[in-house]
Amino acid sequence: MTSPTASRRGRARAGLAASAAAVLALALAACGSGGSGGSAPDGGTLVIDTTFDLKTADPGREYELTGQLLAHSLYDTLLGFANNDLTKPVGNLASSYELSPDARTLTLPLAPGRVFADGTPVTADDVVFSFNRLSGIKGNPSFLLDGVTVSKKDATTIVLTSAKPNPALPFILPTPALSVLNSKVVTAHGGTADQSDGAEGYLNGASAGSGPYQLKSLDVASQAVLTRNPSYNGPAKPHYGTIVLRNVKAATQSLNVQKGDSQVALDLSGDQASGLDTSKVTVTSGASGYSIYLMLNQSAGVSAATSNPRFVSAVRKAINYADLLSIAGKGAVQPAGVIPSVIGGSLPPDQALKQDLAGAKADLAASGVAGQHITLSYPSDFTLNGLSFQTLAEKLQAQLAAAGITVDLAPAPVATELDNYRNGKEQIGLWYWGPDYPDPSNYLAFAPGGLLGKRANWPVGAAPDIDKAATAAATSADPTQRVTLYQQFQRDLNTGGAFIPLLQPPTNIVTANSVTGVAYNPIWSVDVSAIGAK
Amino acid sequence: MSAPSEPSSAARRAGARPAGARARHPLLGYLLRRLGVSALLVVGVTLVTFILTNLVPGDTVAANLGQRAASDPAIVAAYRAHYGLDRPLPAQYLAYLGNLVHGDLGESQQTHRAVLTDLRAAVPATLELALGAIVLSVLIGVGFGVVAAVRRGYLADSALRVVSLVGISVPTFWLAMVAYYLLSYRLDLAPGSGRLSPATTAPPGVTGLFTVDALLAGQWQTFADAAAHLVLPTLVLTAYTVGLLTRFTRTAVLEVLDQDYVRSARAKGLPGRTVLLRYVLRAALVPILTVVGLAFGTLLSGTVLVEQVFSWPGLGSYAYQASAHLDLPAVMGVGLVVGIIYLVINLVVDLLYGVIDPRVRVS
Repeated sequence: MTSPTASRRGRARAGLAASAAAVLALALAACGSGGSGGSAPDGGTLVIDTTFDLKTADPGREYELTGQLLAHSLYDTLLGFANNDLTKPVGNLASSYELSPDARTLTLPLAPGRVFADGTPVTADDVVFSFNRLSGIKGNPSFLLDGVTVSKKDATTIVLTSAKPNPALPFILPTPALSVLNSKVVTAHGGTADQSDGAEGYLNGASAGSGPYQLKSLDVASQAVLTRNPSYNGPAKPHYGTIVLRNVKAATQSLNVQKGDSQVALDLSGDQASGLDTSKVTVTSGASGYSIYLMLNQSAGVSAATSNPRFVSAVRKAINYADLLSIAGKGAVQPAGVIPSVIGGSLPPDQALKQDLAGAKADLAASGVAGQHITLSYPSDFTLNGLSFQTLAEKLQAQLAAAGITVDLAPAPVATELDNYRNGKEQIGLWYWGPDYPDPSNYLAFAPGGLLGKRANWPVGAAPDIDKAATAAATSADPTQRVTLYQQFQRDLNTGGAFIPLLQPPTNIVTANSVTGVAYNPIWSVDVSAIGAK
Repeated sequence: MSAPSEPSSAARRAGARPAGARARHPLLGYLLRRLGVSALLVVGVTLVTFILTNLVPGDTVAANLGQRAASDPAIVAAYRAHYGLDRPLPAQYLAYLGNLVHGDLGESQQTHRAVLTDLRAAVPATLELALGAIVLSVLIGVGFGVVAAVRRGYLADSALRVVSLVGISVPTFWLAMVAYYLLSYRLDLAPGSGRLSPATTAPPGVTGLFTVDALLAGQWQTFADAAAHLVLPTLVLTAYTVGLLTRFTRTAVLEVLDQDYVRSARAKGLPGRTVLLRYVLRAALVPILTVVGLAFGTLLSGTVLVEQVFSWPGLGSYAYQASAHLDLPAVMGVGLVVGIIYLVINLVVDLLYGVIDPRVRVS
């Protein structure tokens, strides 16, 4: 039988042991609060904070900004852009390219000697497999090769044949979704070129590319860890041995980068970026590749007002574009047309729309629909590069009211409002467009009968002059002539279109002062292999 | 051959049972009944979640496919077929139930992974936070509540009531931001984002609780790093539950303090500490336990804001992402897990009632 004294001693010992364990845990915790739990491989570790929209690391299925960033780091494409010059594709896995005069055949000789991370050579068969897989699995980016057939001319030459003239194809090929995968590795892990493909799970845990980095680990909810590809022999010069891409909200990104927990923050708004300690960090602001616009439905069944050209003109003239830029923050610009300033074929800034209140009132009076209440629909839970659509909609409502146009706001969560928008049910919609690839042909979506034109119930034939301008721009293969034709297409849209380009929100990249080489790219955000240290 | 004999009245009084009959403990019977009811409730939860998610006026295809892909009928058809969205709703639900029996919760439209795999990662992350928060909350909140009740009307009572009110009233999101700014950014007392530092590799997964897994693997540095990352979000979550428990404990203890048997115990000359611990606190534990159970359930299912601030890949973040993108399989999975969490907590609390209060056992 245990005596009460012994029992008390036992309890005391247990208490002491528990206390000691707690102290040990706290001490260890304090030791660990410095952050690093292990040593970094050669080159050091670069931590990039961004807000994930990541779903997968499979290049054939990803089509989100984080996925593009990841795929661009892990894989190579046939063509690329040197120094972020989006107007001129250059060789990458292909040494060069040649587009036939009719813009239907693109011939690409492979650069000699390029190898995958496992040391095996990149072959034409790998390219054919990768492109066929992209098309065949019917994923988000499959449309990029619509109407394009891939074949190998010989062991080192690829031929892409388009059903219709496709002068945009050299600008599409640098898109990370068109990465070249190691076909043997992917096939060994269930990869096929049709919907039975089962390689995604493997590609979410390991990469099968020839890019400057390899995937070490991935959790789509929290972080991706990349390590330098020791076999890489491409043109990039990756500095860091390890890249950690973390999912962090914008509000905490600013604290992390100033504290030194991260070296790059990608998603800060103009307001968040403006108050940072510049002795610790550098803020690089500029116009993003997104364009925010108003869509006015051209169906009289949806709205007698928005389908009235004079009413559309009144809205166009009523908007104070410069004032909208002020709420978007430093770096925001007004695109002169639907093509944003960072994409080739954009209009010069002096041709941008301008406010004309008297003209707006005159057009409204002439429209015969003055006094009608119009509904402005938008995703109220959505911010684009820190710019809230709710704030923007309220500003537009006030500006239009000054011209006598009464707008009722109809906010809704993006997940539910998208359905109305895509089904052409909105009277006026406030939305945005991000470039799929940096070619003006991507903006033919705004033409009558185009992807966005259909959402405005604006079919082919509704505006013959704009149809003609769009067709001319789409079929031209001459680079100089293309620019001229796309600019004319935008001028026509600015006077008679169903869309009103409003602004390009800014992009603010914040970097630790120890970091160099961070430059914004509208397709893949940043090229991590170009980031170096002072 | 003789007929089976009746047990004697003496044997019946002694609790003897007929030969061959299985003795069933009352608690076992109670447990079986509760489990049966819980299984039905889980099915009910899946049905309600399924109906509600399908009532949302949005198209999951539009929410999850890009603009170009969503306009391609072939891609849309492939997407619908892949997720079984091309079947009538009743067929979808029955298929879900059929798969559920085999432990298959479907594939997330957001992560392209099995929902069960996602939940296996997200639930332990939140559990690790919630366990720390609830333990701290019970220790602090019950202590504060007892002190406030015993010192009713004195300065300590007033001060603790203010502390409790502040804990309950301050928005968790704001508190998380302030804690992040002050304790992590300004004072560098604890790390801010994530479950581990960037250079630290996650320990081999056993429980999914990084601190426990690191200990099991003998990775002391990883344990320290994981524990350090727990500090701030745990403290923020604790603030609210401490406030809640302080108020409830104070009220519960005050009610018991006025009981006759407490006065009798004191009149008998029992030491104040004995009266407090054996008479007062034990009797007050039943309502406190109820609140602890509810608070734990809330911590497990409602940490979304704290998880967002601290970049914590837990159940709250997963639920938020799933809802924002109409990721139906994930929403169903989260609904199921949250339902099970509450059912289990309620069951455990009910069983603990019996342990604490003999009257409950008898009834």
